[in-house]
Amino acid sequence: MFLPNHYEFACPVKTNSGNRALEHLPVELDALNARKPLVITGKDTAGKGLVDVLINAFRDSGITIGVFDGVHTSPDLILIRELFRIYRDGGYDAVIALGGGPAVDTAKTLNIAVSGEPEDIETSAGENLIKKPLKPLVYVPTLSGTGYETSRYAFFGSNMYASHFLMPDLVVIDPRMTVPEDAKTTAATALVALTQAAEVYVSPGKNPLTDSYAYTAISFIMENLVTVINNPQDKKGRLSLANAHCMAGCAFSNAAPGIAHALGKAAGDACGVSHGLCMGILLPYVLERYLSLSGYHIADLLLPLTGFDVYAGTAEEKRTQKAVETIYDLQKELFKVSGGAIPRTLKDANVSKNILKDIAVKAAGGASTGLDSDGCLAVLEQAWEGR
Amino acid sequence: MENFREVKAGKKSFKKDYVAIMLWFVGKAIQAASAVDEDVKKEFAALPDYFTFSLGVMPDGPHMVVGKTRKGIVQYIGWDPEGRDIDLKMKIKNIEAAMLLFTFQESTAIATARNRMIVDGEVPHACAVVRILDTVEVYLLPKIIAKLAVKRYPVWSSGRKYAGRIMVYIRTILGF
Repeated sequence: MFLPNHYEFACPVKTNSGNRALEHLPVELDALNARKPLVITGKDTAGKGLVDVLINAFRDSGITIGVFDGVHTSPDLILIRELFRIYRDGGYDAVIALGGGPAVDTAKTLNIAVSGEPEDIETSAGENLIKKPLKPLVYVPTLSGTGYETSRYAFFGSNMYASHFLMPDLVVIDPRMTVPEDAKTTAATALVALTQAAEVYVSPGKNPLTDSYAYTAISFIMENLVTVINNPQDKKGRLSLANAHCMAGCAFSNAAPGIAHALGKAAGDACGVSHGLCMGILLPYVLERYLSLSGYHIADLLLPLTGFDVYAGTAEEKRTQKAVETIYDLQKELFKVSGGAIPRTLKDANVSKNILKDIAVKAAGGASTGLDSDGCLAVLEQAWEGR
Repeated sequence: MENFREVKAGKKSFKKDYVAIMLWFVGKAIQAASAVDEDVKKEFAALPDYFTFSLGVMPDGPHMVVGKTRKGIVQYIGWDPEGRDIDLKMKIKNIEAAMLLFTFQESTAIATARNRMIVDGEVPHACAVVRILDTVEVYLLPKIIAKLAVKRYPVWSSGRKYAGRIMVYIRTILGF
């Protein structure tokens, strides 16, 4: 185990997971001094009937809830203004974000506005510019969550917000909400979480508490991702993945984003390909790149990736390579079980080779990568070509 | 606004009624078992005089209230804890958690471990009440169901089990 000379860790998220977890919401909201929550979700989630499940969980509580189920893929400030008015005029005192991605980013951004002034949406964008606790935020994940939802990050338009005050006060993971998604979505979301957790687990900035969250997240994903894609009805597997996404978000909130994360995000933005699929493709190539950098703990990654038996049966000097090979094997397995829908290389993902340089320049601009644009380009070219 | 609606949470009347009946019956059965079973008698004897406890569902019931007199007589006091001086309040967080408990999908110990209950009072007293509830459930339920409902199914003599069960049922139904 690795214990640094000094470390900090913050995770204010209370987690309530398992059978009938949603029914605990009224009591949990009461503990947060909230009596009238506003639910924010997307049309996709509403279309699956999940809003009704959430509303039913409040029966017998005497609570009135507001439901907005119209968040689309690119929410804008007009929507935030409308939601701000609904929240203020309706006397709401908490926000429940249901689903993943834009719905949660919208809920977090709304929470910034209703906890202070609407102008805070502009002035709070950036690193640690939110200076005080926000109104209670509850997150109810579906399988379309990635881990960002539980993290200290929110993305809205061109703004990025980073603050521990953006982490939800409560996460309620209920198996009824983790309805099956298609193979590509399941893989894309899990690969974001795997990348977040793996890069934290190997990073020089890790500590015993990030290890705990990241280890469990990686183990759950490795044990359940392929199984759930093969059998989407595997309820326990889906619940494990949803738990893993949330844990990865907590670990990710306590370390600097890694190279695979930054490159995957830049590649996804540039090509319109899912961030998660890009991160999953890039992860083993980035891990190989980490070998040339000092302070990374790649060999340690073998344990959560494969379990005790394989770890103990692998010679110490071979654990690093075995860890990287395990991710390559996962890529091959996902490609196989999805009938080729989950790409193994950036070329498979229809990323044009011509734009790799632009992606590298953009990703290198982020302080967290630790690589210059040539280094980023080298990784991208390897991931484009494949092995 | 399009895509927005305000919803007043509805009711779960059937489940509330079911849990109310179960609480009433268990409350009466505790009173009966306290006159029949030596272990239950000892548990109550160790509790303070006039000790009263309630078991109910948040936010507004149903409940059962059981208490003991100075002479150690245990009584089912009723379904309404309002205005009473209650030493130990055991509150199940919601009606679904109560259904899991009273349909024997979760034992009292498991429900507590899963944080489905809130205890307001002394923990040793709560442990005693849980042991009493376990004993009462063994009397009331056939073994196949009671094994799901209690932490450890006890090994009792046939006399204690069957004669005790008959006495507990008779006293529960007749109310003495």
